[in-house]
Amino acid sequence: MCTVGGPPDISDVESLATKDYECEDCGNKFKGMGRRARCPSCQSKNVKPVK
Amino acid sequence: MKIPLGDDVAFLCGQKGTLALAKTLGHLFYLETDLEEIVIFTDEDDLIVASAFGTGENVRKSLKCTLFQIREMDAPLIVLPKGHPASARLKTVVSIGPKTRIKCDIQAGTHPEQDVLCGTEDFMGAEVIGFPGGAEITNFEGDLKFEKF
Repeated sequence: MCTVGGPPDISDVESLATKDYECEDCGNKFKGMGRRARCPSCQSKNVKPVK
Repeated sequence: MKIPLGDDVAFLCGQKGTLALAKTLGHLFYLETDLEEIVIFTDEDDLIVASAFGTGENVRKSLKCTLFQIREMDAPLIVLPKGHPASARLKTVVSIGPKTRIKCDIQAGTHPEQDVLCGTEDFMGAEVIGFPGGAEITNFEGDLKFEKF
């Protein structure tokens, strides 16, 4: 991805390979991308993709 | 070429542009759109790469500041709407991931590939890839400088 300054300059955010996740420890639901999913709220790695 | 990279910033200095790279250290990064937040998960040895269209000490300071704000202060990356006037004003571009390819023949906002970053012609075809304890840089023959992060 390419960002300009702080703000990313992405033409089509929907094209990013994101998944929806839920943290099994704190219940936080979030969208993420990358290989090592981790909860941004409690930092737990005990997260699962949700449909 | 392979370079060691610990808790420091490496600057690749071209004639017209500068790249700065540092380890992500496995931090989380945040993309914010009008509607949602996207968390970017990284590995310890992934890289955060910032590219500026300029050279010199002030440019290096600016790049280091950008990397610091994003990595150490968890500064969110705000996604501007297409055609927003602020896009043309900002001079630094950033990429996060295991590999970054630099291109100079693209227009900001027209390349959704996640590993492509805009750069000056000094860096055309250059690639930076993170590996344990360092980074590999290909297709670049300019100067290298290191500073503590």
